[in-house]
Amino acid sequence: MTNIISPITQSKFFNNHLKRVINDDAFAAKTIVVCSVMKDVFAYSVRYKTTMENKKIPEKRRPFVAAMDLASGIVTAIAQIAVGFSIASPKIQNKLWNGLFKNAQFKDIAIAKKSFATILALIGSGLITERIIVPLLATPFATFMEKKFFNGAHIPAVTTSHNNLSKPASMQQFLKSSAG
Amino acid sequence: MKIAPIRTNQRLANSLEKFSEQGGEKIANYINAAGKFAIAPLVIMYNPFTKESKENKEWAAIKQPVEAVITLGAQLLSLNALYKGIDKLAEKGKIKFKLVEDAIKTGEIPKPILETARHNKEEALNLLRKNCLDIFKDRIGTILTIALYVPVLAISNRIFPKIADWMVKDND
Repeated sequence: MTNIISPITQSKFFNNHLKRVINDDAFAAKTIVVCSVMKDVFAYSVRYKTTMENKKIPEKRRPFVAAMDLASGIVTAIAQIAVGFSIASPKIQNKLWNGLFKNAQFKDIAIAKKSFATILALIGSGLITERIIVPLLATPFATFMEKKFFNGAHIPAVTTSHNNLSKPASMQQFLKSSAG
Repeated sequence: MKIAPIRTNQRLANSLEKFSEQGGEKIANYINAAGKFAIAPLVIMYNPFTKESKENKEWAAIKQPVEAVITLGAQLLSLNALYKGIDKLAEKGKIKFKLVEDAIKTGEIPKPILETARHNKEEALNLLRKNCLDIFKDRIGTILTIALYVPVLAISNRIFPKIADWMVKDND
């Protein structure tokens, strides 16, 4: 096990990363946001693969449906990173910190500030953006794309986001489209 | 009259300190699960742009909290086991960070760590070691969480139809 761990813990790249996370609260928060988005990107990739292999979707429409999966994944990831990074910025952090904790006492203010930046960035990206803004916008966007590319014809299952309810061919398709 | 907001601030500050002890990866998983558990079902049920039957919406809405509970349970169990294993290896001295070794040799310790340790060098080195280990655990934890995604989704896809079938009255 040490043979696997040592090259990482002794590497220049990982130790520079450690130094930055320790010295820079905004960087620490941004790293956690990126890690969180990475998990979603993995989920979108799995979904893309599943759609491409789904024989219930007519072959000529499959690439578009899968492309919509991929596009919505990319849009969600970019939106999450944009919101998370903005919230993690020192300017916004200082404003929010001073507003909320002006008179509060901390055992360790440095750790508390780092966690505060991380938690807020995650709430902004993984909770508000991913769970509210994107799902709400995805449905009208899917309808628009359907009209534009298929002249209102029925798409078996346009899977546009985690919580999106689009136009399923069956209950099974519908539930797949809301997976996340 | 100004006492109430100070107390509220202090309560919030105490909760923040307690929550931050969990580490970044676990915090990310808690927030993700909270969103899936509490917000996703509401967005599905009350999305004004969706024209789906009530039953379809209910089925999809139930899927979210079921998946959130199963995912978080699996993540916490596996992360706790992983973190315990890493801590054991660290106690045996098998995990050594170059940053800590350099700090021992040169005496150069990152400023935030030194300030937290009130410039006590021995305490600062211990704190630096702990910080490095926590960050390492977070990064390995993220990889584990990604690896868990496929089996966890497969399990929740098997369990949730039973719960949804039991909870939703199907009029079809």
